[in-house]
Amino acid sequence: MSNRILLVEDDVALGQQVVQTLSQAGFDPHWVQDGDAARDLDPDDYRVIVLDLMLPGTYGMDLLKRYRVKSEVPVLILSARDDTADKIRGLKLGADDYVTKPFFPEELIARIQACLRRPNLVGTERLVVGAIQVDLERREVSNAAGSLSLTPVEFEILALLARRKGSAVTREALVDAALDPAQDGSRRTLDVHISRLRNKLGKDAIQLETVWGIGYRLSGGA
Amino acid sequence: MKLRARLALTLGLATISLLVLLGWAQSRWQSKMRVDALAEAAVHRMESGGRERCEANPERWPGERGARRLRRPPGPPRQALPRHRVFAYDAKFVSANPDSPAFPSELARQLRAGSEVATDRSPDQRRTEVAVRMPWTEGPCSVLLMRSKGPPSWFSGAVLMPAFLVALVVILVALFAAGPIVRRVRQLTDSVRGLGSDSEEPIHVEGNDEIAELGAAFEQSRQTIQAQLASLREREAALRNYIANTTHDVMLPLSVLQGHLVSLQQRIEAGDALDANSMVPSLEESQYLGSLLHNLNAAARLEANDGLSHRDPIDLNRLAERVVDRHQPIAKRKQIGLDVAVPQAAIEFPGDLTLLEQALGNIVQNAIRYNRANGHVAVILEGSVDRWALRVVDDGPGISHADRERVVEPSFRGSEARTRHPHGMGLGLHIASDVANRHGLRLELRDTEGGGLTVELIHAG
Repeated sequence: MSNRILLVEDDVALGQQVVQTLSQAGFDPHWVQDGDAARDLDPDDYRVIVLDLMLPGTYGMDLLKRYRVKSEVPVLILSARDDTADKIRGLKLGADDYVTKPFFPEELIARIQACLRRPNLVGTERLVVGAIQVDLERREVSNAAGSLSLTPVEFEILALLARRKGSAVTREALVDAALDPAQDGSRRTLDVHISRLRNKLGKDAIQLETVWGIGYRLSGGA
Repeated sequence: MKLRARLALTLGLATISLLVLLGWAQSRWQSKMRVDALAEAAVHRMESGGRERCEANPERWPGERGARRLRRPPGPPRQALPRHRVFAYDAKFVSANPDSPAFPSELARQLRAGSEVATDRSPDQRRTEVAVRMPWTEGPCSVLLMRSKGPPSWFSGAVLMPAFLVALVVILVALFAAGPIVRRVRQLTDSVRGLGSDSEEPIHVEGNDEIAELGAAFEQSRQTIQAQLASLREREAALRNYIANTTHDVMLPLSVLQGHLVSLQQRIEAGDALDANSMVPSLEESQYLGSLLHNLNAAARLEANDGLSHRDPIDLNRLAERVVDRHQPIAKRKQIGLDVAVPQAAIEFPGDLTLLEQALGNIVQNAIRYNRANGHVAVILEGSVDRWALRVVDDGPGISHADRERVVEPSFRGSEARTRHPHGMGLGLHIASDVANRHGLRLELRDTEGGGLTVELIHAG
């Protein structure tokens, strides 16, 4: 699928910056400067739409309504007004998220990536996180070195981290998901299991990160 | 026209109209009585010998004296019999007496139409003419015509003069009687005029009539208007104060930002090599400026409302991720690890999206801003819809116990909260505390195990 992103933003300086940011992040931005010009574009031609609200011509909310009639493409609102009513209205009309101005370019990219990530979270039986592959149905784990022999607890820990790939998962959540509270289901026990899991992952253990104050994260997924 | 004159004139005109109407009715009644009396007297006269005398000598009847000798019939007197003349006619309205006037055509028409008594006024309107058909139809004296002066017309001076005199009296009485009313109305007018000034004098009109009620209504309106005016003045003062404070608060980080930029320019001009960290203070200050404006906006909203103006279901998972994404660029540049953990199932909570996001943003920003290089900040959302906790943990220097208690006090407001104390956390944490209170959340500040500060927003269910 293409990386085309529609940017509807009337401010020239901000528009240029955003176009540059999107391009640097590997996206293919199509910049439109007024609402009327954006009216007749097909939203399904884009992976994400970044929409300013205060536009000349057709108002941003009206564009959002129009797009939502025929498309489910993720829409990210750029809001200059710190007004709850605007944000809530946008979200109720079907926007996926919003970014309040002023924002750092990295924040915008992070929110766009979050929009793109969301639909892929559910209904997957085989998870691939970097070099690590987790088959949830067969309860098998493998990496470049081959199949790994994990205990049930280690598998549950790795499966939960793989389902939430790239996101930090708390120790409490891992304990609840993988350990039996009646049999020493403590955080210290979890750390022992994690240590063993890292040993089994070998050189891919670097993907299993400790997240300060939270727990662990399995990184390296696209 | 003044109220008193209008009232007197109205009463005078009403009195005149009433009296004229009464005069007219009385005149009509008297006229009818006269006609009845004349008709009865004529019949009585003829039946008591007048017929024989008339038929014996119709050419001369009733003669000079007899013409005025019509007498009252027996019975109770009902109407004074007016002076009149009488003439006799046969059934065809022809008189044998050559001195008799021609029978009036209008009276003849009425009698032919079947009336026993016909009446009309003479063409000069000065006399009343009454014709009476006798109980017999034969002979030269079967119809009598009587002519009398008057009665005066209803609009004559005899009726109108008393009416005007009475009306005059009524007007004078009304002018006199309206005095107290007019005085009270003037008192009310003066009080209401005072509304335009800053007078605190209440509007009061004595009595318990409609004017007093009007005065009470004005007083109620005065109080409402004054309360609204006071509120508007308060808001105006708050707005002025807000603008002044905002200007002051924005100027400080703006000055710091300018200082950083000038320093950078000087270093470039001096040929110094700039590394990736050179821009960090400027970027941090610019983010602080944006956050400060959001905070000032939030503070203004919180001061304007006692409760919450919005309560929509908020996805707390996404809110936490959004806040972390927002602060990640600065955290990275400051080499501070910032991470977020949310439960797999989204937690929804009814609240004000902007205020909650601002509250969490303030806590996270403080945790980053006052942390050390290579420090850590973790944002953790745990629990379920019924019971959850949103925790910001850092391993920075923390704040003293005394300051922790102060920033979450409800009374910690205004200029004190706006200062950068301690370390600029004042306004941000105060807003977070206020927002938490309004959402029924608990804000707790405690030491992080191993050092640092943990700030927790708790929904205990």
